[in-house]
Amino acid sequence: MQTANAQVREVKAPSSAGVRVRTRWQRSLLTFLMVFGPGLIVMEADNDAGAVSTYVQAGAQYGLHLLWILLLLLPITYFVQEMVARLGIATGKGHAAMIYERFGKWWGRFSLADLLIVNFLTLVTEFAAISLALGAVGVRPQISVPAAAAGLVLMVVTGSYLRWERTVIFLCLLDLTWFALAAMAHPHWGAVAYNSVVPNLPPGPLTGSLVFLIIAIIGTTIAPWQLFFQQSCVAEKRLRFSDLKWARLDTLIGAAFTVLVAGAMMIVGESGLRRGIVFADPAQMARALVPFAGVWMRNGVLLLMVNAAVLGTTAISLASAWAYGEVRGWPHSLHKKLWEAPGFYTVYTGCVAAAAGVVLIPRMPLQLVIVSVQVLAGLMLPSAIIFLQLLLNDRALLGDQWVNRRWNNWINWTIIAVLFALSLLLAAQVMLPNLFS
Amino acid sequence: MATMHNSYPAEYFRVVHPLDDEPEQKCASEGLGPIVMTPAVRYSLIALRGYLILMGGILVYHVLGMVGFVR
Repeated sequence: MQTANAQVREVKAPSSAGVRVRTRWQRSLLTFLMVFGPGLIVMEADNDAGAVSTYVQAGAQYGLHLLWILLLLLPITYFVQEMVARLGIATGKGHAAMIYERFGKWWGRFSLADLLIVNFLTLVTEFAAISLALGAVGVRPQISVPAAAAGLVLMVVTGSYLRWERTVIFLCLLDLTWFALAAMAHPHWGAVAYNSVVPNLPPGPLTGSLVFLIIAIIGTTIAPWQLFFQQSCVAEKRLRFSDLKWARLDTLIGAAFTVLVAGAMMIVGESGLRRGIVFADPAQMARALVPFAGVWMRNGVLLLMVNAAVLGTTAISLASAWAYGEVRGWPHSLHKKLWEAPGFYTVYTGCVAAAAGVVLIPRMPLQLVIVSVQVLAGLMLPSAIIFLQLLLNDRALLGDQWVNRRWNNWINWTIIAVLFALSLLLAAQVMLPNLFS
Repeated sequence: MATMHNSYPAEYFRVVHPLDDEPEQKCASEGLGPIVMTPAVRYSLIALRGYLILMGGILVYHVLGMVGFVR
């Protein structure tokens, strides 16, 4: 079904369209840079406020012992997101639209409703993190939360996908600061290397909190919204069949970067363990680290928490807005002005505003929200990947060229089986907290 | 001394950004109808539907218990 490759043409006459380069190497590099974006964003946005909390907590409770899990998750996230990118390029449509068209209204609406609920609850946790982090440097939630919400809306209403993408890539690259913070934490680098490649568990019995944390690490590294987000993003960017290899490289770089940043977060958390600091959240840890690591460490961790929440919020809200627009048949594109796609921008703004508003409600049971997010996301992820897997085996739609190969299917069914087992374990663990006690 | 001129224009590559390029024909689902599923897949999806409804119900019950609506 592949059609004319309009991406790179060898020409011998001047042309105003595109950029002229002299060598194949320059052509490849430039094409990659033009395609680069969705893969990095979808992966790094998943290192959101909840992920910062989970990874730092893992380091603070169990030191470097769980680093190897991150390395194990790298191929899993890559394989899942590669399928999403392939489906997006092949169909030029978002994930919600494909489920709706190929599996009917029931599954379409169910997947959409599930996505919107989980996304909304996740957004509440993002704004809670913004409130917490900026509260630690004296900014009141009544100021920090509305200001963040306003900034997040302004990011998308410019009518330019590329402007949004460049802004978000810049925010992703700010996460490089985690490496500086990890270096400032002075970990034992030999232990970092050992624990990254040798699977091992912390000394002592297998407790409920350890099982929960391992599941949380896996759950936070792959989230249902990522499937919807990347496919819509690829469609929005109008990537071509010939861009697939660069989209794969983008996804691989994003996966590797995300795992490395997650590792740096764990190392920062481990510095708290070495110094005997007890804390309930990363903001508390950041303040407690001041006597040992200086005010830079505190400010760095707090600002990176805000950055993580902002990244997560914009990506998750867009995933909801794209999905809703696709299913409703509304115009749904960042290329459009506010008045050209009112429904799309209303959903985005509504998600951001409602989540920000919930966080400002006094005595809001945030712990309940966090638990619900974990369980719902855990329940939804394996079923979402099943639909992805079935769509990638849809020969009538994709033809022989873009469907999964046999080895693809083996890997993906294995991932689905593992995720199903973990989601059941997570649900059981949350609903029966004393299961492993 | 005569200067040698290459009369052929140098070959170069033109790289076009995806957003500036001509649209290409994608794999379209129009006219295909619902996805073709084997009975095993169909029954698995029905089971999945039941599983998700059951787990969703358990979660709602659990949340209601946490906020004190049910014991």
